[in-house]
Amino acid sequence: MAEQGTTRFEQVVLPHLDDAYTLACYLLRDQHDAQDAVQEAVLRALRYFDGFRGEDARAWLLTIVRNYCYTWKKGRATDRSTVAFSDTADHVADVRATDDLVIQSTESERVKAAVDALPDELREVIVLRELNEMSYREISEVVGVPIGTVMSRLSRGRNRLAEALGADSRRAG
Amino acid sequence: MTCADCLESLGPYIDGELLANEAAVIEEHLKTCPDCAAAHQRLVSTTSRLRAALTRHPAPDVLKARIRAALVQPVAEVSAAPKRVPFYRVVGWPSAIAAAAVVAVLSSALTFSVTARRPAGETVRSELISSHIRSLMPGHLTDVASNDQHNVKPWFNGRVDMSPNVPRLDSLGFPLVGGRIDYIDGRSVPVIVYTRRQHVINVYSWPTNTTNEPPVTASSHGYNVIHIPRNGEELWIVSDLNRAELGDFARLLVGNS
Repeated sequence: MAEQGTTRFEQVVLPHLDDAYTLACYLLRDQHDAQDAVQEAVLRALRYFDGFRGEDARAWLLTIVRNYCYTWKKGRATDRSTVAFSDTADHVADVRATDDLVIQSTESERVKAAVDALPDELREVIVLRELNEMSYREISEVVGVPIGTVMSRLSRGRNRLAEALGADSRRAG
Repeated sequence: MTCADCLESLGPYIDGELLANEAAVIEEHLKTCPDCAAAHQRLVSTTSRLRAALTRHPAPDVLKARIRAALVQPVAEVSAAPKRVPFYRVVGWPSAIAAAAVVAVLSSALTFSVTARRPAGETVRSELISSHIRSLMPGHLTDVASNDQHNVKPWFNGRVDMSPNVPRLDSLGFPLVGGRIDYIDGRSVPVIVYTRRQHVINVYSWPTNTTNEPPVTASSHGYNVIHIPRNGEELWIVSDLNRAELGDFARLLVGNS
């Protein structure tokens, strides 16, 4: 029985490992942390698997991965006993990313830095939409907010990126 | 349709989230309104830049290997612990105490005879398998993560009393992942980590006074363990990789170090 459960779990959940790892890499911005977080999240998913009703396995797994990534980040922040108020952190990230943008030459490094500089709530919807190609309904399930909120966050995220990248290419040119 | 309505719907429009008739209205408006058409153009170019520049990250083989190993473990634990009815409920207290005394005497005698007969290699082997399984849990695989032997080898300086061999075997299909220190058989030993497809291979080594002996391969709990005593050093290789390929790995490792 347990054996069968694990096999079904593997068939349903493991095909979405690439999406899970991509999301974790962008949320944690560190590939080793992302590996540990995805492994831990998958084990949690196995524990909750009885509660999975068989609708959208990808959205279900990514919900667990996303939530675990934030738990992980919070744990890290208190571990280091830093006073990581999100406003301060975003501000620092913005400054660093702007500096990087001036130095970094390739397009993909510039785009990556601009995405990294976004606050978490905007970055996650951008990654889920542009890289994992999820629908608004799926994103709303993963992030746990109404579709209208997904729409407005996506729009804010894209506007910020257009600004950051547009301003930068003018400066370069 | 007003321009404000149009601008608000541009996101859902390019994401294919609008119904056909809603999309048709936007399309009509974009043909006649240059401002909204420019905004549409900007949005399309931003998303295509994002998609072109951002990389997806496929889950690395080592992550898949760790997940596969972790998925096997909990099931094994569950099946190994069947529901038990407490012994004293079945037989009553006095006889339970008497029986316990007999069991205690017998089991210590048994333990003694078993440990007396068990070769020293056996306990090391089971320690190594435990270490291998532990290494697959989150955060335990490597203390130094690098596919470059020039980063991995010097990391051990001053941390253990020997410098392990770290040959590069990635061109032969066994990429290096990193290294760590484990505690085996009462001492700190260096561990070098390689992978083969989705299998993790842990290589342990420590100094000893044995001479060259032929390798010994043993299997237990689905893991293969190869023991190679040679030139004052013991080499132990542990993996769930099949015997044939692990044997190839052992030959390459010894041949290249």
